[in-house]
Amino acid sequence: MAKKILIIEDEKILAEMYHDGFTQAGFEVVMAYSAEEAIEAALKEKPDLILLDILLPRENGIGFLGKLRKNPKIASIKVVAFSNYDDPDTKKEALEFGVEDYLIKTNYTPQEIIEKIKDYLK
Amino acid sequence: MDSSLIHQIFIYLINLTGFCLAIWVYLANPMNKANKVFSMSTIFILLWVNFAFLANLPTQADRALLWIRLNFGIVSLFFISIYFFSIYFPQEKKRVPVLDKAILIIGIFFFLASVFTNFIIKDVEFKEWGVEPILGKGNILFLSVVIVLTFLISLNIFKKYFILPSQEKTRVQYFLIGLSLFALFNLIFNVILPIFRETYEYQHFGDYSIIFLLGFTAFAIVRRQLFGIKVVLTALLVVLIAILLLLNTLIFTESTPFQVLNGVIFVVFLFFGYYLIRSVQMEIKRREEMEELSLQLRRANVELDKLSKSKSEFLSIASHQLRTPLTAVKGYISMMLEKIYGKPPEKMKKPLENVYNSNERLIRLVNDLLNLSRLDAGKIEFSPELTSLEDMVSGIVEELRINTEKKGLYMKMVKPSGPLPKIMADRGKLRQVILNIVDNAIKYTKEGGITLEFKKLDEREEIKVSDTGEGMDKEELNSLFQMFSRATAGTQLHTEGAGIGLYVAKQFIEMHGGKIWAESEGKGKGSTFIIQLPIKLDLKAVEEKTRIIKKVSNK
Repeated sequence: MAKKILIIEDEKILAEMYHDGFTQAGFEVVMAYSAEEAIEAALKEKPDLILLDILLPRENGIGFLGKLRKNPKIASIKVVAFSNYDDPDTKKEALEFGVEDYLIKTNYTPQEIIEKIKDYLK
Repeated sequence: MDSSLIHQIFIYLINLTGFCLAIWVYLANPMNKANKVFSMSTIFILLWVNFAFLANLPTQADRALLWIRLNFGIVSLFFISIYFFSIYFPQEKKRVPVLDKAILIIGIFFFLASVFTNFIIKDVEFKEWGVEPILGKGNILFLSVVIVLTFLISLNIFKKYFILPSQEKTRVQYFLIGLSLFALFNLIFNVILPIFRETYEYQHFGDYSIIFLLGFTAFAIVRRQLFGIKVVLTALLVVLIAILLLLNTLIFTESTPFQVLNGVIFVVFLFFGYYLIRSVQMEIKRREEMEELSLQLRRANVELDKLSKSKSEFLSIASHQLRTPLTAVKGYISMMLEKIYGKPPEKMKKPLENVYNSNERLIRLVNDLLNLSRLDAGKIEFSPELTSLEDMVSGIVEELRINTEKKGLYMKMVKPSGPLPKIMADRGKLRQVILNIVDNAIKYTKEGGITLEFKKLDEREEIKVSDTGEGMDKEELNSLFQMFSRATAGTQLHTEGAGIGLYVAKQFIEMHGGKIWAESEGKGKGSTFIIQLPIKLDLKAVEEKTRIIKKVSNK
C-alpha cells in the first residue's frame, strides 16, 4: 500500500516540485500551506510521515510541532523537518521535539529527500 | 624680623585673601544659598581674626575688653552660619525649620550677651603674651552651645557624605581637609608650642590658618572639576613642609650661613615638590583616562555583540531567501535529468547539467558564507556522530564523477584493503570539507587527474587529495587557508569561488581536533591536500572550542 505523506510547504513553487517528486515516487501526497491547515490535515488524513517546512506564515514549524505533540491522536506521527532556514537554535528546538532529521532543502535534490524519507518509513 | 610686623603682614594678607574668596564665591553663583552663606561666614571669620588681633595690640589696651567681647560674640554668629552652610553644602538637605529658627535665636542671643553684658566675659587681664579673658558665669553655657552646634554641623555633613555622588564627595573632602589643617595649626601653635617651648608668641598663627579652611571650602563650592584628593594631599604635604622650611629659615634660624643653607634647601625642596605634585597629578589623570577608555571599550563590546548577533540573524534569514530559488532550480533540473517530466532531448542534457552544476556552486557559496558568519560569531554547532568514511567518500566521488569525466580527468582511490574505518565526525561539515577539496582539485587541473589516498596512522586517519594541476609556490601555500586569499593561479583561470571555502574547511577540521594543510613542489607540479582526523574524538578538547549540540534521534 502506498505510504501517505503530508508535505507542509508554503512556497508554491517548491510545494509543486515536491508534490511532483513524491507522487512520481509512488507516495500518496497531501499538501498543506500553513501550520493551521497542517494540523487539520494531519487529524483528517493520519499520514505516515510529515515533511515540515519551518518558516511558515503566521505560526512557524516549531509551533506546529508543539501542537502536534500535544494532541494524542497525532502525537506519534514521524516528522522530518526540512527548511532553508539554517539557524542552530531553531534546529535544536526542532530536534527537541523529536523530529527524525532537520534537512537543509538546498543541499538535497527531491530524489535524495525521497530516499531519506523511505529510510525513515522502513 | 620683628614679630609684630609679621603679624601685621599676616593680618593684611588674610583679610585680603579672605575678602577676595568671599567675593569670588558669591559672584560665582549669587543665587546659590551655599555660596551666600559661605561669603557671610567668611566675613564673620575675618572679623573674628581681626578682633583677636586688635585685642592684643598694645595701642588698643584700653579697648581690649570690647575687642575680646566682640571676638567671643562673633564666634556664635560664625557657628550659626557654618550650621546653615552644612545644610546647603554641597547639596541642600531637608531642613527642620523649628531647629533652624531656634539655633538662629540662640546664636543671636549669645552674640548680644557676650558683646553687651558680662555674662560671658567679665573682664580682661593683661599677661606677658597678650590679653587673657576672665570668663563670666555664662561661659559654660556658651561652650555647650558651641559643642552642640559642632555636633550638628558634623552630623549634617556626614549624613550627606555617604549618599553623595563621587564628585560631590570630593567637595566634602576638600572642606574636611581645610578643617583638618585649621585644627592641625591650632594644635601646633596653641597647644604644642606653648607646652614644649613655653611660648605663646605664635598662637595667632593658629587663627591665621583659618585661611586654609576658607580657601579649600571656596574651591569646593566654586570649581566644577576638582583635583582628586590624592593630588591635593600631596600638594598640601609639599606646601606644609615648604612653610615649615620657610619659617625655619626666617624665624628659627639665627646665623646667616644657616639661613642661606636653609634657603637653598627650601628652593630645592620647592623644585622637587612641584615635580612630585605634577607626577601624582599625571598619574591620576592617566588612570582616569584608562578607566574612561575601559568603560568605552566595554560599551563598544556590548554594541559589537549586539551587531554580531543581528548580523548572524540577518545572514540566517538572507541565506534562507537565497536558498529558496536555488532549491527550486536544483530540484527541477534534477527531476528533469531524472526524466520525471519526460525524457529531455539528448541535446538538452548537457545544458541542463551545466545549469545544475552552476547552481551547485552557488549553493556551496551561500553555505560557505553562512558558515563563515557563524564561525565569526562563534555560533556554530558541532554534532559529531559515528560516520562511515567509506560511504561519505564514495558519495562524494559519485557526485563529482560527472565533472571529472567532462574534463577528461581520472579520479582514483588508493586505500588499504577492506572498508575505511568509521570515525566520530560531524557528517555535514566533514563532507563539505572533502567535497570542497576534491572540487577544487578538479577545478585547477587541466589534464591528468585526482588521486584520493587513505592511510591509517596511529590514532589518526589521513586523507590525501593529490592532483596533477597547476601547483602552487611557497607564498600561495602560506596564504591558502586565510580568508579571501586565493592562489593567483585561480585568478588567472578566472574560476569561481570566493576564497572562503578553505578558510571554513580549516576551521571545521580544527573543530574535530584534526589538521589540514597543503603541499606543492611548485608551479606546474600539482598540489596535495592532506587532512588528518583523530579516529576517536577527544570530546573535552572539542568542547572547549565549540558548543556541542547532541543530536536527538529516534534511531
